[in-house]
Amino acid sequence: MITKAQNKNNVKRFGNGKQTIMFAHGYGCDQNMWRFVTPAFEKDYDIIIFDHVGSGKSDERAYDFQKYSSLSGYADDVIELCDELHLKNIIFVGHSVSSMIGSLASVKRPDLFKDLIMIGPSPCYINDNEYYGGFEKKDIDGLIEMLESNYLGWSSYITPIIAGEQDKPEYSVELNNSFCRMNPEIARHFAKVTFTGDNRSDLSNVTTPTLIIQSDPDVIAPVKVGMYVHEKIKNSKFEQLKSPGHCPHLTSPEQTIRSIKSYLSN
Amino acid sequence: MKKVQYTEPPDHYDSSPCGYITISSDWLIVSVNDTLLKWLHLKRENVLNKILFPDLLDMGGKMYFETHMMPLLQMDGKVSEINMELKGEGQLRIPALIYANRILVKDGGTPFYRISVIDISQRKQYEKELLIARKEAEETSKKLKQINQELERFAFMASHDLQAPLNTILNMVQLIERRKLLETGSQAEEMFSYIVQNTTRMRTMINDLLEYSKLETKTTDFKLVSLNEVCSQALEFLSDEIKLNKAVFDIPKLPEVLGIRSHLVRLFQNLFSNSIKYRLEIAPKINVTWKEAGGFYTINIADNGIGFEQKLEHKIFEFMERLHSDEYAEGTGIGLSSCKKIVEMHGGHIGVNSVAGKGGTFYFTIPKVQENL
Repeated sequence: MITKAQNKNNVKRFGNGKQTIMFAHGYGCDQNMWRFVTPAFEKDYDIIIFDHVGSGKSDERAYDFQKYSSLSGYADDVIELCDELHLKNIIFVGHSVSSMIGSLASVKRPDLFKDLIMIGPSPCYINDNEYYGGFEKKDIDGLIEMLESNYLGWSSYITPIIAGEQDKPEYSVELNNSFCRMNPEIARHFAKVTFTGDNRSDLSNVTTPTLIIQSDPDVIAPVKVGMYVHEKIKNSKFEQLKSPGHCPHLTSPEQTIRSIKSYLSN
Repeated sequence: MKKVQYTEPPDHYDSSPCGYITISSDWLIVSVNDTLLKWLHLKRENVLNKILFPDLLDMGGKMYFETHMMPLLQMDGKVSEINMELKGEGQLRIPALIYANRILVKDGGTPFYRISVIDISQRKQYEKELLIARKEAEETSKKLKQINQELERFAFMASHDLQAPLNTILNMVQLIERRKLLETGSQAEEMFSYIVQNTTRMRTMINDLLEYSKLETKTTDFKLVSLNEVCSQALEFLSDEIKLNKAVFDIPKLPEVLGIRSHLVRLFQNLFSNSIKYRLEIAPKINVTWKEAGGFYTINIADNGIGFEQKLEHKIFEFMERLHSDEYAEGTGIGLSSCKKIVEMHGGHIGVNSVAGKGGTFYFTIPKVQENL
């Protein structure tokens, strides 16, 4: 039976293992981001991937601007999903904003989480006195402006994908639907919530064992920010990858997989 | 046609009308053409193998590059029509459209990405003007909506508040009549009859206005409604008029629709009442029929009344417009405009076909109920 939350978050579950590992995507993308990483875990794990409400092929009607005006709303969705599927002690892998979503969920319900794995986490993107987040308020406005001027680009993106991926029709339809269907208003709201949020004070409440995977260089979540997260979460390990950009699971999937596996085997 | 010999000159890359950049998988610029360097006022030796592609972007662009463009490029191997601003020398900025694809390297080495850049400075200016115009239009429409709501509220308050003093006047008038306070055949009695007539007319008008201003809507109020039940209710409300005029109705089995029941009853009531009011000598006969086409039902209400000239169609649905004087039949010109409002709030449109002296057929459309609702 497909439950309410499964439908809402377009949940996919596969793999042959007992231990559940859940992958949560970051801002601007959807569960497709994990396609280079999940195959390496299929043999030994029970894999769950999903789309945050408002992203990918989630149920857009469930997007409540009030609920999702802070990351706490997304954390509640993760908890709801675990409860509905009767999951406990899961490994939660969160990219970017989902690292914070996972940590908030783990503070609310420590029983649900065995390990947190954060890829490119940042508790606060905007510089604040001594704290270095990497951005000024006006940079975030710049991103919002970029989003606004690119709706046109996204909608007209549909055709080349369909035409170009005929040997893999499922793949292309999936991509097309997920990337083009982000409602412009939601994209803007999610960007604001993600990049203007401040969850620094929540970090010290995290008790779940945590691995921080930091790529270098990363403009979105600079090394300094990853170090900060490591410092604030007591039970955490820090691993720096020599991979440029904010998405090592796309740029260097092998390094990312190796890092997760070696952490889990200890 | 004559075959023309042409060989692409070797400087094609550098002299191309659009900008080219090639970046490595860690985004280092490994190749750039003259066109782009010229646009950006940059020197090759300061760019090539020196800076990363995101270095040409401001912070917002960098974020977009990291969160949207690169993931897509890595997952799908290409992106198109991305609107970015490229930084040149000093304060120089060029609005550009970016196209990119992945170049796979033999033996599974890390890929390169080829980026084409099109300068859209003029188009961007035009786009900005369009955006401003759209924002202005949105604001104006928001303002208009607000003013409209205020007006409706005003109409409601005014007609509501006018009711009380008018009722008092009518009570007094009835009392004078009942107690026979005026001398039969006197001038006062004649003048008094005008007072009665006009006060009654004023009450009809105020009631109609009040009903019209109550026609608010929320789509959440929409429920599945049987049009047959709606018709029965309308006929019940009109039972006195029907008896008095010996009107005959022919109503077939009608479909169910999504709507607000009380509004739909008013719609039929107004249309039926209209057909009875504008009758000829012969008894009114009203025929309801319907058909389905293109996701809509069309409901026809045909009568054998006086009809009117087709060219007046647009006029009769306008607010407080009338074709006839009160001497012929009393009315306020609000009934049919209420009908129009009701039909439009249900997502349909209303119209009429008529020939003067030969009756008329009012029709309206209403969306068919979709299966998955």
